Amino acid sequence: MTQNADCDVLIIGAGATGSLAATVLARAGLDVVCLEQGSWVEAGDHPHYSGDWTWQRRTNWNSDVNKRHHPDDYPVESDSSQVLMWNGVGGSTNVYGAIWPRYRPSDFRKGDEHGLQPNWPISYEDIAPFYEAADRLIGTSGLAGDPAMPPREACPTGPLPFTRAAGRLAQSFDKLGWHWWPAEAGVISENYDGRPGCNGCGICNGCPRGSMSKFSMSIWPKALAAGTRLRTHARVLKIETGRDGRASGALYVDRNTGRTAFQGARVVIVAANGVGTPRLLLNSRIANSSDQVGRNLLHHTLVSSEMWVDEPIESHMGYVASVIGREFAETDVSRGFVNGFQFNCLTGTSAAGEVAAGWVTNTKAPWGHDHHAWFERHFGHGIGIHAIGDDLPNPDNRVTLDPTLTDADGLPAAKLHYAPGENDRRMMNFMLDRLVDIAKAAGAFEHKLTDYRDEDGIYRTPAWHMIGTCRMGTDPTTSVVNGWNQSWDVPNLFIVDGSVLATGGVVNPTPTISALALRAATYIRDNFKALAAGGRAMAA
Amino acid sequence: MEIEMRSEPMPKGGAGPAAAADGLADLVEVLLPGEGVWPSGKSVGVQAFLALRLLQERGRAELARVTAAVIAAGGPLASLDAAARIAVVRRFEAEEPALFGLVRDIAYVSYYENPFVAEAINAQGHPYDLRPHIKGYPVPRFDLARDTPRHGRGRYVPTDAVRRVDVSALDLTSDATQSWGLKR
Repeated sequence: MTQNADCDVLIIGAGATGSLAATVLARAGLDVVCLEQGSWVEAGDHPHYSGDWTWQRRTNWNSDVNKRHHPDDYPVESDSSQVLMWNGVGGSTNVYGAIWPRYRPSDFRKGDEHGLQPNWPISYEDIAPFYEAADRLIGTSGLAGDPAMPPREACPTGPLPFTRAAGRLAQSFDKLGWHWWPAEAGVISENYDGRPGCNGCGICNGCPRGSMSKFSMSIWPKALAAGTRLRTHARVLKIETGRDGRASGALYVDRNTGRTAFQGARVVIVAANGVGTPRLLLNSRIANSSDQVGRNLLHHTLVSSEMWVDEPIESHMGYVASVIGREFAETDVSRGFVNGFQFNCLTGTSAAGEVAAGWVTNTKAPWGHDHHAWFERHFGHGIGIHAIGDDLPNPDNRVTLDPTLTDADGLPAAKLHYAPGENDRRMMNFMLDRLVDIAKAAGAFEHKLTDYRDEDGIYRTPAWHMIGTCRMGTDPTTSVVNGWNQSWDVPNLFIVDGSVLATGGVVNPTPTISALALRAATYIRDNFKALAAGGRAMAA
Repeated sequence: MEIEMRSEPMPKGGAGPAAAADGLADLVEVLLPGEGVWPSGKSVGVQAFLALRLLQERGRAELARVTAAVIAAGGPLASLDAAARIAVVRRFEAEEPALFGLVRDIAYVSYYENPFVAEAINAQGHPYDLRPHIKGYPVPRFDLARDTPRHGRGRYVPTDAVRRVDVSALDLTSDATQSWGLKR
């Protein structure tokens, strides 16, 4: 086994949050090493330049880790969820869609609001400056001034084009008297930070141009320029602790040589996502005195619709998201449930093959002589909508270790269980009914819904969001980290990925995860001496 | 996608390779017939992609399964008239829905990846590029004067305004909502 010289900070995982933490800490002059089990994903590796990109994104570029069987991946056994994950530099930003909304203040105060979720140890006001900082680093687009959200600074670039699909949706929401707003995106609408503005291609599963913030193109160059040492193909097997209970570093295997090595560190940061992080902590048998590691897995409540309108809206063109509807984002118990949801309105699929073979609702064109007429009626006329809500935590929805299945290095695989609860099911019923309202208001000639339940009634959500499994809190018996993302049990261990989210909000979580990672990294930077010396630098 | 690392022998008992290839092409012809500007699936070679992708997704035995399913449904198609071909494919769809669905979806995706089919889409008046990422689409920029919402709707609850709601009547500890989603 190779023993590497100790570094100041070891970061496990080179995805979105690992890259942000590395940038902050390396810029402060700290010696930062990042271990990443996957590889770089070069621009030319993406399917976007190939005529068969539609097929590739359903197979070897599928965002579901279990559908593509990439050698960098590890198995995730699930009895319900489809698991979005990419293991490599930039993490899941290699395949995500980069819709970029923020949490709202009440998301941090659900304990006060109804008590079925915990309060966060921090408030919206604590995180707000880091939302702005993250936006500037990452490069986002959008329109300030939404009355349904707290005031914010202008996005680094203006809103993306207001497509015909957006216009048709806006008319529909106006007719219903509901809120709508142009979608915020982790996509730049004009040249920014050395990257080109979005060209409207519509293939919004990662973006090798870098117009959508693929963190290997937007953040990693900054982290590397600041001196971060990134080791790819380095799969961490275990986080080690000393007799003092502090993390001493990580044992990892170099997947190129098969050799194991130990990287010592004064501070260890885990940034391995809401599945990978609990898996690693459980395999390492650390940070889990609360028995909360892996529990309270949140995916969001999610149901979706597609509708087709007579007006040609060329919905295969432009960024995939169009408008966001926040009419139902706050709790209103008269609906029969707590918490809220929002509409993530899309355009259409950019792939003609998906119009025919099925997209959001898996609606298929007929075969035979009716096929072409159906296609002519539907192509360029479709709009997809996701309704995404705040699911209640359930300790039995969780990530555990599979008792038999292992990865290529013999490490137990992650096992997922998730089922929506009573409140979640009521919310999804309400959401489906509102999706019908939108289709009617739009004058759609056809609409379809999906509840993502299979033929046996099992909710198989496309779990783009895997959060909550090492949640942040004020009580060491019910949470895994404190308000600075610091382990209650291991004082020099920090978790900066989506597993720390105490509630899911009604939005795509990457903006909040990114802001929290920046905030935690800033805290580590400002308190590094105390943290490295063995003290618990507990400003919180 | 499982990519096979070695060549497997064709399972015994199926049609010969020439007949199997013709049979797959005939099936594609029924699924995606030509009409007007639309070339047929067979004429743009969808069957070659179908065979390759079935192999990649499910292994070589799946090709024989397709052939066998068509025969079991009344095929092969070659000797049948148009109406009889459609009837056979309908039976295939009814009797082997999962396999048929896979074949149909691969055929559709493969068809619309073809340059001649993309030309047909453009002939309908839609700008459609098989590789749009290279040059993008001409989407007009956001016009602040025209596109900014003026409705004034929307609200949020500030941190210090969050108040307790009464959930006592909701009975959320129950498991009452068993009928949910699309099956209500």
